[in-house]
Formats: sequence, C-alpha cells, structure tokens
Amino acid sequence: MVMTKAAPTLNADFLEAAGSNLPSPLQTLLAQRGKALVDMPLPTRRTENWKYSSRYLQLSDAMASALPSGRKAGPALAFDGYHVVIHNGVVVPEASDFPDIDGIEILSFADLDDIAAQQLAERLDNTLDSNAVQMSRLNTARFEDGLFIRLKPNAVMEKPLFVICETDAHATGSVYPRIYVEAGTNSQMTLVEEYMSTGTEPALVNTVSEFSLADGANITSVRLSLEGTNTQHIGATGARLLANARFDSHCVGFGGPLRRHDLQVRLEAAGAECRLNGVAVTQGKQHYDNHTTIEHVAPHCNSEETYRNIAADESHAIFNGRIHIHKDAQKSNANMSNKNLLLSTGAEIDTKPELEIYADDVKCAHGATIGRLDESALFYLVSRGIDRREANTLLSMAFINELIAQIPVEAVRETVQARLNQFIEQTFKGA
Amino acid sequence: MLSIRNLHASVEGKEILKGINLDIKPGEVHAIMGPNGSGKSTLSAILAGNEAYEVTDGEVLLDGNNLLELATEERAREGIFLAFQYPVEIPGVSNMQFLRTAVNAMRTHRGKEELSAVEFMKLAKETSKQVDLDPEFLKRGVNEGFSGGEKKRNEIMQALMLEPRIAILDETDSGLDIDALKVVSDGVNALRSPERAVLMVTHYQRLLNHIVPDYVHVLAGGKIVKSGGRELALELEERGYGWLGIKDEVEAS
Repeated sequence: MVMTKAAPTLNADFLEAAGSNLPSPLQTLLAQRGKALVDMPLPTRRTENWKYSSRYLQLSDAMASALPSGRKAGPALAFDGYHVVIHNGVVVPEASDFPDIDGIEILSFADLDDIAAQQLAERLDNTLDSNAVQMSRLNTARFEDGLFIRLKPNAVMEKPLFVICETDAHATGSVYPRIYVEAGTNSQMTLVEEYMSTGTEPALVNTVSEFSLADGANITSVRLSLEGTNTQHIGATGARLLANARFDSHCVGFGGPLRRHDLQVRLEAAGAECRLNGVAVTQGKQHYDNHTTIEHVAPHCNSEETYRNIAADESHAIFNGRIHIHKDAQKSNANMSNKNLLLSTGAEIDTKPELEIYADDVKCAHGATIGRLDESALFYLVSRGIDRREANTLLSMAFINELIAQIPVEAVRETVQARLNQFIEQTFKGA
Repeated sequence: MLSIRNLHASVEGKEILKGINLDIKPGEVHAIMGPNGSGKSTLSAILAGNEAYEVTDGEVLLDGNNLLELATEERAREGIFLAFQYPVEIPGVSNMQFLRTAVNAMRTHRGKEELSAVEFMKLAKETSKQVDLDPEFLKRGVNEGFSGGEKKRNEIMQALMLEPRIAILDETDSGLDIDALKVVSDGVNALRSPERAVLMVTHYQRLLNHIVPDYVHVLAGGKIVKSGGRELALELEERGYGWLGIKDEVEAS
C-alpha cells in the first residue's frame, strides 16, 4: 500500500512502536495512543482547520520510520544561557548543560522514575484539544524521549534555557520532539525552542510542547522554526494558566514545504494573561500556517495577540486565530491583530479571525489586514540614494520589527533580525 | 550643471509643464515662484524621478548627462536632493537606520569608506543640533509623529548629511512658524557653497528674506513667464502676479 499525498488515513507504517528506552508508564501510554491512531483520518481540503494546508502535506511510507538518534549534535545557534540538545527527538545529555538550580528539575523522559513517569503520562496532552490539533496525537504515539522541566514554587531560572531540537535528516524519516513544563506557583523561566535541521532527505518533524502554569507562574516561550526546506514541520504548543499566571509567546518561523504550528492557550482562572506574538515569512513556493486558539474560560483574564506574515513570490501564508470566551468569562479583555504583507502578486495570504463570545460583559477586538509595500515610502527612501532592494527590505522589516523588538533575549533578537533581513533581501533579488 | 530644456510633462494625460527652460550653475540659488497649480511641485517631482509624472518632451541634463534616464536612487547618488513638501512617515524604520543607510549609500557611490556606527552617530548628533532637532529623534521612526516643522527640519538635516550637488526645496517654508522658518533658512544657508546649487520652489516671498536668491523665476501655466534677480521677488510681493497677466490660483489642479 502506497499512500503519498492526501491519503485518507494515516499510513499504518506510522504506527510503529516507539519509546523502548522509556519508563514503562510512558511506554504504556505510547502503545495506547498508537492503537487509537489506527485508521486515523488525515487532513484533507475538506477538513476545516487544514483546508488551506492539506495539499502541502506529503507523507511518504519511508517518512514513517523514526530517524535514529546518533547522540551527537550539529551546529546550533549558541547563546548565553543553559542549553539542552534534543537530537532526532532524543535528549543528548553529553551535548547539554543542565542547570543545577534549587527548585528546578530538568530531566529527559528516559531518566524519570516510574512514579514521576506515571504522573507525567497522566498529564501529557492535557493542554491540547486533540480534536483541533489532530497531528499532536501522532507525537503522543511516537515520541522516543522528551524533556521534562519542573519548577517548584517560587523557583526562578535567571538565564534562558535553550532547547535545540535538531532533525538530522541524513535519511528519510520522522522525529517527534516532546517538551513538558510544569511551572509551580510564582515560578519563572524563559524557554527558547530552536528547531533546526541538518541533512537533505525528506523528513517530518512532529512536535508537541506543553506548559502548565500554576498560580502566578510566569513563562516566556520563544519558538524559532529554522529547519531546512527538506523538512515538513507540524508542531503544537499548549498552555494552561491558573490564577494570575502569565504566558508570553514569541514564534518566529521561516517557510518550508509544509509549516504548521498550532498554539492553544487556556486561561482557566481569574487574572491569567497571555501575549502571543508571531512572525512568519515565506518565499518561493513555501508555506506557513499558524493556527491559534485562546480559551477565556475564567473571568478577568487578558489576552493580547499579534501575528504578522510576509509572503513573497508564489508562497502561501495562513493565519487562523480563534478566541473563545466562555459564558462565565465576564470582564475578559481580548485583542487580536493579524497583519499581512504581500510582496508579489503571485503570493497568497489567508487570514481568518474567529471570535466566539458567550459572555456579555467583555472587551474583545480583532483586526486583519492584507497590504502591499507603501510606494510613497519606497520613493522617499530611494530618493535618498538607498538601493531599491535595500529600501524594500527596510520597509518589509519595518512591518515586523515591532514584534521582533519584543523578544526578550537580546542575542536571539539580533540573530532572528539578521536572519529575517537576509531572507527578505533574497526575495527582492530581481528588484 | 543642471540644464532643463523645453521640458513638457503630464500626469494622467493632463499636460502640466509646457516647455520649461532653466540653467542652473554651481553656487547659484534659484527661486521658482508662482501661483498654486502653476506646475512648481511637478517640476521638483520630475527632477527627483517620481514616476507618477510622464515627461512627454524635452530633456534634463546634469553635467551634460541625461538625468531622465536615471532611476531615482541613481539621481540621488549623482547629487540630486529633493526636500519634500510632505515628507512621509515610515514607522518601523528608525531615523538612525534610514540616515545611516542613505549616508553610506552615498559614500560608497563616491568611493569613500562607509561610516562606522560611532562616526555616524557623531555626525548625526552634530547635524541634528544644527537644525535644532533633539538627537533623541534618531531612535524614532522616520518622521513618525513629527510636527510639520520637525519634518521640514529633518529634510534639511538630510540635505546637510547627504551633501548633494543640487538641493531642490519644494515649498519648504509652508506650514512653518517664524522660528522654524529661521532654523530651516539657516540650514539652507549652511548648504550654500560654490560647488552646490539650490533650487527653491515657493509660493511666498517670505522665505526669500532669509535665503537670498541669485535668480527668481515666475512659473505660470506650465511655463516660466518671467525671470529676474532678487528684486523680482520683492516686486511680486508688492504687486502680486496680476501685472504679469496671471491670475493668482490659475489652473489650480
């Protein structure tokens, strides 16, 4: 049986057993979830939340095999802070620098004892709605390892923790990186997830990262999608927030043959708040699809969401932002803005804000725009002798600088800015 | 240096310039005056390379070379500078980034080394003081949230930093109070040099009290109908345009 594109159900080869090095409670979970995947329908263009993206999904039989972890890491962006390397979905302690900080546990799933593994098995997927994030179910059936972080109450990680998730695609296959963060009362940390790749064979990167925030916890999450154009990336991030917790998310993604990120945030107790910033840039025939959901479950919660896309050439960028205000979530404040910049007539942008409001005393605003570069601004810049290509790049960067400037880790901010600048400049090669 | 010969131009099929002839030599300051709608701003826009206007006849030579064949950025590097009547705001691009990119583009073209960040900041701070702008403005977006007067001062600051061969000032005096007019005029006077020419386009004579021109031309109905020395401007102020057979506000478009 050969199923390549738009197959109606998941190829049975994807059901291969995983996690043989993991504690038994996690192996049990993987096996259960694997069984549930039999005949799992794959998204098609009739699947509402995949209708613009299903045609980019190209799963081949060979991609079902897990890429082996060679336990060595390729080049990553090196920044000041703690770092953990996840190579083909497996934590590599030799390449990592686990901080030894009071009140903070950082362990690979493989190193958890049975009791901790059992607790984790009960919690995995609790932050995600697996009906809306179908492909996260594949990760929960296939992860080989994962990174578990527990911050005890009041624990503060002063420096950011970089998690370098490398896909080593020297053969065709798939990887399933997994991260779970449990942030205790009033704890704080900044986690930078860096997805990158080496090798040139076709590969599927299927990620899930989850954050559980207790009262007053404060997590900043930076997620960089930097993989090569041989990889398809389907990632999900979930966060659940209790009273007065704060979740700041900064996602920056470069296009690829398939790029999908689902971000789901649940504000479950009064005073919880989130800020979700996202930037995606695409060129050539690349794709990028950001789907976000903010659930205002409890009253007196705030959400602020700003996503920007820049699509050049014949590329395709998608934003779907859902805000769901439950009936008891009075006094909710929700702001969502999605702005898009089209750099060519052949590029496509699809944007869809979705608001579902069941409470009657809320402040909720949303806006979506699609535009082109401002000709009068371009004329002003070139009239000062600035090269046309550089002027176009400056104006495109101006569209996203405001979001990049909010990334709280300076080294990441500068690197991301330089990469975006280079990427955008390439798209004006003909100008 | 700059020769405009029989220049005809139209926008959206409507002829605005109907045969302009003008010669400007290094060191000279020319003023073009005229009623609204006479084509003054069209002339400056065409010199800078605005593609909204179509040149239908005639030529413009810069040092004997065809200026109209050059793209806007090439004209700028050859020394054409237009101070805009309505400078655009560009949020997200800082004045510092913009000015440094422009200064270095010019320097590279002139075979000079690019300025380092430190050298640039020193120059930018000095020049901003010359036009009475708080150097803090460098961190803000280009013209973002600037008052009308600040925008005009920023234009003059750019001219001072980019060292053009010919600075064209399009209604630079409009919307300025008397203090701002003084600052802008001082800036323009600082630009004057034996190698550089200035072309001022203005509706009012008051700017010419501060920047004394060598030549004054009256543009009306798309043509230069009278040229003279600085005394012509004073005569226009006293007598209006009527004695030249022009109604003020002719052909307003």
